[in-house]
Amino acid sequence: MAPANLTAFVDEDPPVSLWRDAWHRLFRNKLAVAGLVIVIFLALVAMFGPWLTPYDFLTQNLEVRNQAPSLAHLFGTDDLGRDVLSRVIYGTRTAFVVAIVVTTVAVAIGVALGAIAGYYGGLLDRTIMWFTDMTMSVPNLLLVVVINASLKTPVTAWMEAQYQATLNPFYRQTVWVDFLLVFGSMALISWPPYARLVRAQVLSIRGRPYVTAARALGLTNRLIIMRYIVPNAVGPLIVSVSAGLGTAMVLESAFSFLGVGVNPPTPSWGNMISDGLRVWQHYPHLLAAPAAVLGLATVAFSFLGDGLNDALNPRGSK
Amino acid sequence: MTAPAYNKPLLDVRGLTIEIETRRGPAVIVDGINLTVGKGETVGVVGESGCGKSLTMLSLVRLLPNKIKVRGGTAVFDGRDLLQMSKSELRQVRGGKIGFVFQDPMTSLNPVMRIGDQLCEPLIYHRDMKKADARKRAIELLKLVGIPGPEQRIDAYPHELSGGMRQRVMIAIGLACDPELLIADEPTTALDVTIQAQIVDLVKELRRKLGMSVVWITHDLALIAGLVDRVAVLYAGTVVEDAPVGELFKRPTHPYTRGLLASIPKLSDERASRLSSIGGTPPEPGRRPKGCPFAPRCGLAEPICHEHVPALLSFAEEPRHRVACFVAQRQMMEAA
Ligand SMILES: Nc1ncnc2c1ncn2[C@@H]1O[C@H](COP(=O)(O)OP(=O)(O)OP(=O)(O)O)[C@@H](O)[C@H]1O
Ligand code: SF4
Ligand SMILES: [Mg+2]
Repeated sequence: MAPANLTAFVDEDPPVSLWRDAWHRLFRNKLAVAGLVIVIFLALVAMFGPWLTPYDFLTQNLEVRNQAPSLAHLFGTDDLGRDVLSRVIYGTRTAFVVAIVVTTVAVAIGVALGAIAGYYGGLLDRTIMWFTDMTMSVPNLLLVVVINASLKTPVTAWMEAQYQATLNPFYRQTVWVDFLLVFGSMALISWPPYARLVRAQVLSIRGRPYVTAARALGLTNRLIIMRYIVPNAVGPLIVSVSAGLGTAMVLESAFSFLGVGVNPPTPSWGNMISDGLRVWQHYPHLLAAPAAVLGLATVAFSFLGDGLNDALNPRGSK
Repeated sequence: MTAPAYNKPLLDVRGLTIEIETRRGPAVIVDGINLTVGKGETVGVVGESGCGKSLTMLSLVRLLPNKIKVRGGTAVFDGRDLLQMSKSELRQVRGGKIGFVFQDPMTSLNPVMRIGDQLCEPLIYHRDMKKADARKRAIELLKLVGIPGPEQRIDAYPHELSGGMRQRVMIAIGLACDPELLIADEPTTALDVTIQAQIVDLVKELRRKLGMSVVWITHDLALIAGLVDRVAVLYAGTVVEDAPVGELFKRPTHPYTRGLLASIPKLSDERASRLSSIGGTPPEPGRRPKGCPFAPRCGLAEPICHEHVPALLSFAEEPRHRVACFVAQRQMMEAA
């Protein structure tokens, strides 16, 4: 018998791919494109910083202290004669490293906990959500200050003791203690929103027919979570990660500004702003340069996040 | 077509009872269903929307939604009770021995995975195939279910295919591991009429080639008349009539079955709405009548119908035809 099933098929107009569609919408949004361009530019600056800086960011040159911007020093120099442009470029590196590491850790924790809570439900869900709410209810700044106050001294002391014992110069690099504390405390306060978002996504996706179909195929829970649930929750997650990166940069600057983040001499926009603020009446460029770059980054991430939101949730936007 | 021997059924469901937890306590949704499927047999399960067809099938592989639980009964498949077996055994049955095709091809495929990957998944998982072998087999399967250009289509995403094509992909996934039983839950409801017929023909063809048993759930009796060997008519979570398909069309006995058949639209009939000739609606879970579940809507109901539940009993001259109705059973006795 002729295979009846091969008889004429009328293929409906296939819609363009979901992602391609999203790209199109993103590129039609001028603000989002501007945001994307700035973000990419700053990321490149961060990546290639060491090759871009005209001067070493630490080298002091007391003959050229507090100079206004000139051709030799585009952003001028600070009170120790260091090149401000080089320091801003290194500050960009700091901001990106902190934002990327913190967001990666926070997203990993948030996605894992949120997916487990949403998929398994029951007691596991209640426990994880209790933990999440508790973390969220602690004021960010307070937590960071407490961590800094309670951990910084003993860790630094321990490192010094190690150095005395082993004479290994590694233990003298207190920059890493700084970074670890900043990463750790910021990641700790940044994961709960991701966990909540992913949990809500998973709860809605869990009941979708393709998940039942996957379970009816006997696939393991792990496989179902990783290949059926998480990828379908990724759209909103991308939006929130883009916004989260911006937030993390602002947080890093804020903490550094307050002296509980990245400490001098490591350049950070925050501690440069803090230094600049003391002398801004005399040397406004010391405040203006880092503040302008921080503002630019914040605005860029926020435009990009909004654009992604509209592009990935076409139904939610007008 | 010679009827296969049904002496030892592949699937034997007895007294399957399913309850849902409600605020007012547990409510029975499926009430002691008995259903057998022989090796190589195709059984149609027919009934109105909400009568518990899908839940019955999902309960067999223990995929009931939260709050809905099996309260009692057995479901012996290939000599083992599905409702008692361990999780790991069950995973071998799911997809490996029992394949599913779901109602809505638009939402039953993972939108972010290529169809080829979705097809390969059960092969890699249940058959321990290498990626390359699984892909070869996936192309064969797509060819088997009549998808033109399977070498290209295998890399398509679900949204790039039409509804009918997607349902073919679903069938291919259901059949990937040569299951002994294919359960198709209203696989054509979401499709155009012409595509519906194509899918029915496809399954008929596949059954002939592969020899698996099929349970086909539908509320459209006419659609599957040429496909199934036997029909079980479900009403409010119980089997009210069960007969070989020819026998059922020749001699529909239960008042509900007769209503179903009468409501199949004739060509001249403008009223296309199903079941229009049966007034009223099925009982909600938790508000089941005490006696025959159909009594509130039945034109033939007698006092006994409101008091007692009729059992599913065989006809004297055709033991494979069974009906659960007091009045029909009395007429049978009188005729005998
Ligand atoms: N997830 C659920 N939560 C609560 N009640 C449910 C759920 N799924 C099904 N039910 C109820 O259980 C009963 C049987 O549902 P089921 O899906 O088995 O019906 P069905 O015969 O497959 O109907 P249809 O032809 O519409 O698919 C219905 O009354 C329905 O309201
Ligand atoms: S048992 Fe009575 S109420 Fe039920 S279907 Fe038969 S006649 Fe109708
Ligand atoms: Mg159903």
